[in-house]
Amino acid sequence: MRYGIVGFGTAGYHGVKEIRKYDPTGTIHVYGDTGMAPYNPMLTTYYAAGKLSYEGMFPFGTLEEMEKKYGFSYEKRPVKRVCAKERSIETDQGSAVYDKILIATGARAVDPAIQGLSAEDRFLMRTIFDGERLRKRVETGQVKYAVVIGASMVGIKVAELLNQQGIGTCLVDLADQIFPLSAYPDVAREIEGRVERQRVTLHFSTTIDHMERRDEGQTAVLTNGEEVPADIVVLCIGTRANVELMADAVEVKRGIVVNRRMETSAPGIYAAGDCCEGNDLESGQTQLIGLWANANHQGMTAGANMAGHFQEFQGNILHNITHFMNMDFIGFGDNRISGEILEHGDLQNGLYIRLVCQGGRIVGANILDHYRISGIIKNYMLRLFAGDRQEVPDYQRGMLVKAGIPETFMDKIAREING
Amino acid sequence: MKGYTIDLDLEKCISCGACMVACMDQKDIHPENGQKPFRTVFDLETNRDGITAYSHLSLACMHCVDAPCITACPSACIRKDEETNFTIFDTANCIGCHSCAMACPFGIPSFGEDGKMEKCDGCYVRVHHGMKPACVKACPVEALRLVELEGDKTILPERSLQESSKNILDQQV
Repeated sequence: MRYGIVGFGTAGYHGVKEIRKYDPTGTIHVYGDTGMAPYNPMLTTYYAAGKLSYEGMFPFGTLEEMEKKYGFSYEKRPVKRVCAKERSIETDQGSAVYDKILIATGARAVDPAIQGLSAEDRFLMRTIFDGERLRKRVETGQVKYAVVIGASMVGIKVAELLNQQGIGTCLVDLADQIFPLSAYPDVAREIEGRVERQRVTLHFSTTIDHMERRDEGQTAVLTNGEEVPADIVVLCIGTRANVELMADAVEVKRGIVVNRRMETSAPGIYAAGDCCEGNDLESGQTQLIGLWANANHQGMTAGANMAGHFQEFQGNILHNITHFMNMDFIGFGDNRISGEILEHGDLQNGLYIRLVCQGGRIVGANILDHYRISGIIKNYMLRLFAGDRQEVPDYQRGMLVKAGIPETFMDKIAREING
Repeated sequence: MKGYTIDLDLEKCISCGACMVACMDQKDIHPENGQKPFRTVFDLETNRDGITAYSHLSLACMHCVDAPCITACPSACIRKDEETNFTIFDTANCIGCHSCAMACPFGIPSFGEDGKMEKCDGCYVRVHHGMKPACVKACPVEALRLVELEGDKTILPERSLQESSKNILDQQV
């Protein structure tokens, strides 16, 4: 059996591992454009902040170690096209045919043109090179002011690291609040207050329009007319799935559409990781859920099925945990869906949880300042989405009580869910 | 060496806390300095549909065979000990992101003053040397057991915490 893997982030790596588990002798060719072992884009802000070494960016070791352990060959060569009909991978060296192909091309940072912003002062935060570039620029000591566009999980970590270096930092988002895709408005207000008290300036419902050079330095002019000093601009406005290689060969929406076995619409072609949209347990539709653990599960599932072992990944829900500026914010599910709101705790005092319930399910949740209960709450949401209406068992209930969630609140949830 | 896990006989536990104290002693945990014990002991009284029930429980890392915390860790700090199957860790590259906590359906991972993850490691070094984990050794009613993954069931399935929590774990991603 011949396997072709296009892209070698964590989804590609887990695909290879799983193929090797079920097929010890098949030929595996990996095509990548970095020549590096898989690394985690989420770690770039930690690397840029000097909290993680260069080696620490590569959680699974070196490429050489992997090639030896899993018996594959790696070609540092851009792929020009994947032909679904012929099941071939085309590079500038020609075309190679495979029995099974995994597309794991990941995603790239959205990078819009901004008038007046020089390449030197423009930063993204996705790749190891982005992290390296920002770290070196900050280390020059020449950055007094920075503007971060995008009040996302990445944007807030970039704002945190710049702020910690004493750089006057301004966080800007076109939405009217921080974490617009996960935080409920009053939770967002509380977070915004804390961020501002740590001297990061916030501008919402606006974005950068252009840059102007003046005698006193550079200025970012926002679309609402406000002006903010900015020696550098960091763009953290999301990612776009890398689907171009496959765009005319398989079904593509915002990402390559896959089923629970990670099969695309073309036989023998699989996709996994940030380039694909798999099952969203909440909506029942396919959706891009570009998260590390999701990519790992998808890669493993694809690899197992490619090697002839039946395996399904049931899907996931939107979920985020962000530890920043001495706080934890956790968001689950779709924060746009309304329903019965159940709350416990106080936004200002150490533990706050809000659950939004609808139709016997918890459709969204925000937790502030208590990471430890997050796994149990997520588990309960996942079970409800899967149709398991069993109440929280005593071993989970006891842990929630120990964490400060009163039993009366849990009884309230049970009544709301089960009527 | 065979794969192991630590199981709890739900009928035998009396929430005495001996396991927690033994763990704190073994791992040099000092609650007076704000450190959290790796094992949590509690009892619960519940009343559902007019039926009152009591639970006595001792919970620490369940050492899940397919551990969601391993898949979730962005720095690959958590792994399986090949000899014992215990879920062990090296936090040199832990960034304190709390992703492991969000992945754990049992609420186990916690974070120390240095911001790095800490949890029960099954006393895997003791087990390598033929000894029981400290909590198992200290349990006066033999509710906590070191059990072989593939061996005979030493705790009846309906009384086993590992067995009763399988469906919970199956739903976690």
